[in-house]
Amino acid sequence: MTAAGVSIASTASGHGRMRDRWVLAGLLTGPGLYIAIMAIVPAFLMVQLSLAHREVGGLWSPGFELTQYRQLATPLFARIMGFSLLLALTGAAICVSLAFPAAYFITRMRRRAQVAWLVFLLGSLSLSEVLIVFAFQVLLSTSGTLASALNAVGLLAPGASLYPNFPAVLTCLVYLLLPYVILFFYPALSQLDPEMEQAAATMGASRVSTFVKVVLPMMRGQILTGVLLVVIFTFGAYLTPLVLGRPPQWTIAIHINNAAMGAGNLPLAAAYAVAVVAFMVALLALTRILSQRKAVEA
Amino acid sequence: MFGLELRDLTKAYGDQLAADQVSLSIPHGAFVCFLGPSGCGKTTVLRMIAGLETPTSGSILLNGKEITDQPANARRFGMVFQSLALFPHLSVGENIAFALRLRGEDPRRRKERVDELLELVRLPGLQSRAISQLSGGQRQRVAIARALAQEPPVFLLDEPFSALDAKLREEMQNELRTLQQRLKITTILVTHDQREAMTMADTIVVMGEGQIQQHGPPVDIYRRPVNRFVADFIGASNLLAVEVLDGHTVRYGAIPLRVAAACGPGGAAATLAIRPEDIILSRTAGGGANEVAGVISLVRDMGAYVEYRIDCQGQDILGVSTPRDWIGAAVGEIAHIRLPVESCQVLGR
Repeated sequence: MTAAGVSIASTASGHGRMRDRWVLAGLLTGPGLYIAIMAIVPAFLMVQLSLAHREVGGLWSPGFELTQYRQLATPLFARIMGFSLLLALTGAAICVSLAFPAAYFITRMRRRAQVAWLVFLLGSLSLSEVLIVFAFQVLLSTSGTLASALNAVGLLAPGASLYPNFPAVLTCLVYLLLPYVILFFYPALSQLDPEMEQAAATMGASRVSTFVKVVLPMMRGQILTGVLLVVIFTFGAYLTPLVLGRPPQWTIAIHINNAAMGAGNLPLAAAYAVAVVAFMVALLALTRILSQRKAVEA
Repeated sequence: MFGLELRDLTKAYGDQLAADQVSLSIPHGAFVCFLGPSGCGKTTVLRMIAGLETPTSGSILLNGKEITDQPANARRFGMVFQSLALFPHLSVGENIAFALRLRGEDPRRRKERVDELLELVRLPGLQSRAISQLSGGQRQRVAIARALAQEPPVFLLDEPFSALDAKLREEMQNELRTLQQRLKITTILVTHDQREAMTMADTIVVMGEGQIQQHGPPVDIYRRPVNRFVADFIGASNLLAVEVLDGHTVRYGAIPLRVAAACGPGGAAATLAIRPEDIILSRTAGGGANEVAGVISLVRDMGAYVEYRIDCQGQDILGVSTPRDWIGAAVGEIAHIRLPVESCQVLGR
C-alpha cells in the first residue's frame, strides 16, 4: 500500500472511530439522564432533607443542622443496623451456599434438563413477593400445613406457631432470593471449560477436591458479587420482616418507614437512608479493594 | 505385556459408534500418534485411555493389569488438553505443583520438582508468574510440565499445538520429541496434522470411521498404505481405478501396468496408488513398461518443487518434480509419464 493509501485508510478509520463515539454517546444519553433524574436528584434531595429542620406535624423547613445525624450515634440505631447486617450476611451465606452448587449441577445436566430447570426457576420468579410472604404466613401459622405436621409428630407444642421470628424471616428471604442467585451463577458456570475439571481429575483430584480447589477459586469474583447482590437486596427488605418478624427482627427499611410515616419525622428518615447508602457504598468499596488485592497477589 | 494395551475398545453414543473395536499394543516408552480427520474417533480413544470416558465395551491394560474401570483420578495419566486447561487462579509454580499438592508432597520437595520441571521445559524462574502473563508457547510448556509433574506412566496430548502459529508449532514439536526421548515416557499424541505425526511418532495409528485403518512406523504408513483411506489421507496420492489382469499386472483403461506386489485374482476391480513424487515425466516416449501419454493441464512452480497435472485418459494425475529435473513443459503439451513398478501399489477398492 502507498503512503497516500495508508493516509486515506487511517483517515477513514479515524472517521469511523469518531462516528462510533457519537453513536455510543447517543446510546448512553438516555440511560444516563434516566439515572441522573431518578437516582441522583432524589439522593441529593434526601441529603438536603436529612439536614433540614424538623417542624411539628410532620413538616420541615430548609436548614443545615446535624440534629438527626446525632440520633445515628445511639445504641438503638446500632442495634437496627447490626440486625440488618446480620440478616443480610446470614441470608447471603445461605443463598450462595445453596445456589452455587445448584447452579453448578444444573450446568452439568443434559441440555433439556437444564432448560426445564431454568423455566422452573424463572416461573417461580413470576410470583409476587406479597403473595409469597402471605403464603409463608399461612404455612407457618398455628393452623398451617407445616406447623400442623410438626405438631402431629410432636416436634411443636400444640397451638404454637412457626412465626413471627428470625428463622421465619430468613427462610422466606432465602426462598425469595434463591432463584435470582442461581440464575446469576448459571451463565458463568455454564461457560466454565469442562477441560479444567478433567485436567484436575487426570492429576488425581476427586470430584469434591476439583470443586473445592478448582471450580470455587475460579469463580471467586462471581461468588463475591453474588454475596453482595443478596446483601443489598436483604438490607432493603421490607415486607418479609414486617409480616414474618417481631419488632426486634425489623430491618432498617421498616424503621425508615416508621420514622417517616409513623413519627412524622422526615429528616430522621432521610438521615437513616443516607446512612444506609453510605454503608452500602463503603461495603462495595471494601469488596473492590479486597478483590483487587487478590488479583494483584495472583 | 509391559506398556499399554487396548483390547476391542468400543464407545457408542446411542447408535453412533465413536470408536469401534480398537485394539492396539503400545510398548513402554513409545511415542504413538493417533492421526485422522475430525470425527474419526481418535480423541474418544485418548479420553478412554485417560479415564475421562467409559468404554461401552473392551478393555484397557497397563503393564498387564486391567484398568478399564479405574477413574481418571486413580490412573493419573498426565494429559495436555487442546485448551491446555491451565488454572488461571494459580501461578505457574502452583499449576505445576497441583498434582504433588494433592498427593501430599512436602513443600520443599514440591518446590524442587517445580524448579526441575521448569528447567526441563526451558522456563526457569517463572514459578510465580501468572498464567495470563505467559505467551502461547510458554503456556504450552507449562501445560507439559504440569502433566509430567506426577511422573505419569502414560503421557497423553490432545492436539496440543493446534492453536499455535506454524513456526512455534514446529519448535514445540521438536521440543516435545526431544523431551520424550530423554524421559522415555510412553506418549500418545492425537493430531489431524500428518506432518506433525510423521516428524514426531515412532508409530502412527491412522484412524477413520472409529476404526484403526493402519498402524506402523511413519515411513511404512507413507510408502505402503493398506487401503484407499490411508493412501488418500496421508500425503498426496494418485488413486487410479484399475482392473486386475493377473498377479502382477493391472489394466488402466487399455494400458497394462505392472506392479511389484501380488494384487489378487484376475478381473477384480482395484485401485492403483502412486505418490506424485514417484512419477517420472518426459517429453518423449521411452518405450518401457508402465508408460502413459497425456496432456499437461496445469503447471505450478512452488519454488522448492514444481507441481504439474497431466490428463491421462480423462483422469488428472498429479506429479511433482524438483526444479533441477523439471523438463520445462507448458500447459497443453503432450508428455509421457512413467509409473515405476516398485512405486505402484494396488489397494482393494
